[in-house]
Amino acid sequence: MRAYKLLSQWLCLVPLLIGCAATTTIDEFRPTNQPIFIAENEKVVLLGRRDSGHYETDREFISCVTNKVNSADINVVPEQIFIDAIYPWFEPRTAPKGLPRLKRLMQDPTVREKVENLRIRYLVWLDGSTETLSQGGSMSCAIGPGGGGCFGFAQWDKLSTYEATVWDLKDLIEKGRLRVDSEGTSYLIGAVAPIPLLTPVKSDACSSLGNQLKTFFVVN
Amino acid sequence: MMKIKKIFNIGCLFVGLLFLASCSSTATVEIDTSFPAVLAKPGVLSAVIIFDDEFASYVGKPNENTSVSIGKAQVNLLKNAFSGLFSSIEFASSIDNLNANSGIIITPSVRQIQVSTPSEHYLNVFEVWIKYNLKIETADGRLIVNWFMPAYGKTPDVFMSSKERAIEQATIIALRDAGAKLLLDFYRIPALNQWITEQQKRAES
Repeated sequence: MRAYKLLSQWLCLVPLLIGCAATTTIDEFRPTNQPIFIAENEKVVLLGRRDSGHYETDREFISCVTNKVNSADINVVPEQIFIDAIYPWFEPRTAPKGLPRLKRLMQDPTVREKVENLRIRYLVWLDGSTETLSQGGSMSCAIGPGGGGCFGFAQWDKLSTYEATVWDLKDLIEKGRLRVDSEGTSYLIGAVAPIPLLTPVKSDACSSLGNQLKTFFVVN
Repeated sequence: MMKIKKIFNIGCLFVGLLFLASCSSTATVEIDTSFPAVLAKPGVLSAVIIFDDEFASYVGKPNENTSVSIGKAQVNLLKNAFSGLFSSIEFASSIDNLNANSGIIITPSVRQIQVSTPSEHYLNVFEVWIKYNLKIETADGRLIVNWFMPAYGKTPDVFMSSKERAIEQATIIALRDAGAKLLLDFYRIPALNQWITEQQKRAES
């Protein structure tokens, strides 16, 4: 009887936990079916786009994707080290937004020499953000000398949209694009203590993008 | 028992006051960071840069609740940035004791610093604008141009991060932007360009 009661309690929690899973879609574009070859001594740098007015690709996300890609045999240069080494040509004001500007920048012998010294072969631009789409419900909390607690229910939908663009710094061409959309709903249940049931939307987007990006590169 | 209740009440009051104090909107920010050397091939000009005391210890007050001390950081940044622009460079604290054959003389100053926080607009970012003026003169004291140089930095409103930390980050990005703007646009200033052309013609004739 006791086991039946425990099982029914767990079954009640299952729909809520399933509701906390994110739905992730990945779109990939590559001009050819050929893998992107990278030599053992060559490196990749992942940079966040920060020139948009209302959002900027957060450093936490860049570092998460960097760690995912770095866990393979691919050498990744940390974003800030690259930006500092090549200052001021990859600041929000000066960073090349397209290949024509990159080609012009790489004509500068000091910039080209620095990129070659750092042995950076591929540059990956990451652009996107995580936004709260809608929220509902209400929660109220109170505290007094006799104790306190929260009562109510709140939910919110989050959407992470990120795009990765791979540039070849040697041949000065685009090698491919990846887009990841991850959406999910999080809940907060107030039953004396607030119980958060959070959907890791951004974390899912990071894992999917990082893992997919790893498959782009083949180490020679 | 009464004593324990009294201590508990005082404790509650203290926690409440601490909570209210943490909601205060006052921010005092001091920027004391180093900046990377610029990657640029210096031009042919030589220059003297004047960092007067007011500039070197500048504290901006964008509003009554916020103060941003950027004097030391902006001197560090501009030393790096100007070193990438000129073949020969000197730094001085006053225009009084200068060598007459010093090329051009540049005196930077801050016209204004502005800060915008998420509570003031619908965007979820902290923004900082620093408006510089560069007074560019010849070695004999003739004014070439007063160049207005705006710089901008923003940083996302990170959950649970302090207002000071967010403004500090946005200010560092604005200072880096000032270095980028200087490297990018300095030799494109029309009046300066014209003066350089005149100097070259004079040297050739």
